[in-house]
Amino acid sequence: MGCQHLEELYELWLLGAISGQSALDLSEHLARGCPHCLGRIREATETLYVLGLASKPEHPHPRVKSELLRELSRRTSPHR
Amino acid sequence: MTSELKGGATGSLDAQDLITEEPSVDILLARAAQGDLEAFGALYDQLAPRVYGLAARILPSQQQAEEVVQEVFLKLWSEGPQLGIAGKSVAAWLVLTTRAAAVHRVRGEHGRGHTTKLAETTLERPPRKTKAKTSLRTVTAGDSVRRSGAAQGEPANPHDSRARTLSLAWLPPPAAVDLLDQRMVLLRKVLDQLPKPQREALELAVFGGLNDNEIATALGEPLGKVRTSLRAALTFVKHRRRAVCGTWAANI
Repeated sequence: MGCQHLEELYELWLLGAISGQSALDLSEHLARGCPHCLGRIREATETLYVLGLASKPEHPHPRVKSELLRELSRRTSPHR
Repeated sequence: MTSELKGGATGSLDAQDLITEEPSVDILLARAAQGDLEAFGALYDQLAPRVYGLAARILPSQQQAEEVVQEVFLKLWSEGPQLGIAGKSVAAWLVLTTRAAAVHRVRGEHGRGHTTKLAETTLERPPRKTKAKTSLRTVTAGDSVRRSGAAQGEPANPHDSRARTLSLAWLPPPAAVDLLDQRMVLLRKVLDQLPKPQREALELAVFGGLNDNEIATALGEPLGKVRTSLRAALTFVKHRRRAVCGTWAANI
């Protein structure tokens, strides 16, 4: 398969944290549908999930929810 | 929680609060897909704290973080049914989409050429190629990086993954993310376990949306050293995740 050189790049690629030829190589490789790398990318999303949740959860202001639901209600209204 | 992790506000939660039993996200998502706003509201209640916590970590103002919360949940309203059909984790989608949306804003790429409205936000719009500026040298680890120096008018880089649309195929199934949530108390400490240079570089990548070149400029370090730090940090996090989940799973 020849994917060994990409092994350390999946998370960096998902983060957009690699520049230059390395990013290009992985993008082109994935575009060819490599199943091994697709599995690695899927696993890398789990690592990014962990990193994303390193930020402590906080409740947004209640106004945020009320505005959101009002907007959705407006969109779903048959009288729009 | 550690000092470098934003928190401590009145609305902050403990990790255990992330774990909910009933009703499940999957059930709520299925109801929401049928137009059930009440179910979507309940889904919001379960998941909004992690979305807001992440957005607030990345963005400089409460208002921007709140806008991202609304933007992401509106997107979930329209795209949630696809997640359910594909058997993909809503929580993972939310976290990755939130980071992308917040980074998009912090890099100064949001709102160019159009007014900011909830309905108009999209992650598919390619960002502009940016160049790090010397002012980034003043950035300290854990800070969000405002990209006032982002170059304008340059062509988008199609190989910049910050421009890439999140593919459903990349997302893990709900069961994998449920396991991560159950172990999150341990996993959340992983950044603290990194050596400082690695943690600084990784935080700039995750929460600042910088690439390796930009991080090198921001930290005043050689590019090779930054690349080594990033790879080592992510390898550690990956191995830590595997160890925590694998070890615990073996005991179940």
